[in-house]
Amino acid sequence: MKKERKDRIMTIRFGILIFVFSFLLGIASKLFIKPAWSKNYSVKWDDSIGTMISDIAYGAGEKNTFDLYLPQNNTRENYGLVVYLHAGGFASGDKADDAETLEWLCSKGYVAAGINYTLFSEEHSDANVYTQSLEIKEAIPFVVEAAKQAGYNIDKMAVAGGSAGHTLAMIYAYRDGKEAPVPVVFTYGGVGPSSFYQEDWGIFGLNQDDEACAVMFSVMSGNKISPEEIRSGEYLKKVKPIAASEWISNNPVPTVVAYGKHDKMQPFAASIKFETALKENSVDYKYYVLPHSGHGLQNDNKISRQWMESIEEYLEKYMPVK
Amino acid sequence: MKVKDKRLVVTGIIAAAGFIFGRLAVRGILNLLLGGTMFGGNIL
Repeated sequence: MKKERKDRIMTIRFGILIFVFSFLLGIASKLFIKPAWSKNYSVKWDDSIGTMISDIAYGAGEKNTFDLYLPQNNTRENYGLVVYLHAGGFASGDKADDAETLEWLCSKGYVAAGINYTLFSEEHSDANVYTQSLEIKEAIPFVVEAAKQAGYNIDKMAVAGGSAGHTLAMIYAYRDGKEAPVPVVFTYGGVGPSSFYQEDWGIFGLNQDDEACAVMFSVMSGNKISPEEIRSGEYLKKVKPIAASEWISNNPVPTVVAYGKHDKMQPFAASIKFETALKENSVDYKYYVLPHSGHGLQNDNKISRQWMESIEEYLEKYMPVK
Repeated sequence: MKVKDKRLVVTGIIAAAGFIFGRLAVRGILNLLLGGTMFGGNIL
């Protein structure tokens, strides 16, 4: 009788141990095993692929630096440049976070650049999406010139990014693209806020709260916006400089984007308006919605794959490596 | 079925359940932070 009880306790303990071990294995597999196709978008970086020059200054600010990735083959007459801007909610992140993407782009034969910009912080409370967009605009001629100095003549460029970086990339492409030192032929990215209509920003409750909306849009745009202006609609003029979708007609650059339908950080509703603007302006675009994902585009690998394949297809179409 | 075989089957079921719950736990936490659904899209 005693032995039987002892056996049962041992069996239960063993079962618990197996469950805990398998649970941890499940966590590890989810965190560290990436889909097989994602390996197509990373490379093992070494001298046979290219060289990287880090922290080249483009302005006086501490964050006014960029990294330049130069392909190993330096014999071509001209090169396409891909600028990739980092994520981080306009308040964090670094160009080094995108090293894998930049290395992959370089391995495809492009000159690639990751640009830092002054982040919103206690120390830089005057930094906002608008000032950041101006810094990117200021940086691009320096990037093109630095590539030229290194022996890589740039004749076309694409601008891309993730989240906050995607917003800045779209602003540059549509608002500032015509003033770029070389033609901007393509823009891509994911989950970047593209417009600032109060009704779309329900994820933060701004659609129900004029004061909170005024504060948030003031901080983001760098323009003082009052609750009265929110109510009257006057605020739209003040947020226009940072609302990429309002500038598409200015420079309707081919576009590939992806958005998560359940995004908690940027309003999916805004991306619907963005797609309408792309359509109305006859842009050559691909717009992917990930129906089960949020800001990390994390639950729809099949569509993520299609998105990445479209990015490759558009790069080859608009900036072929010759 | 012998007792030993039964134990093996039960152990396998427990291991599979633990593995699935582990993956669902990560998905749940990411969904909480970033948004997303528990089911649909990727298998687990």
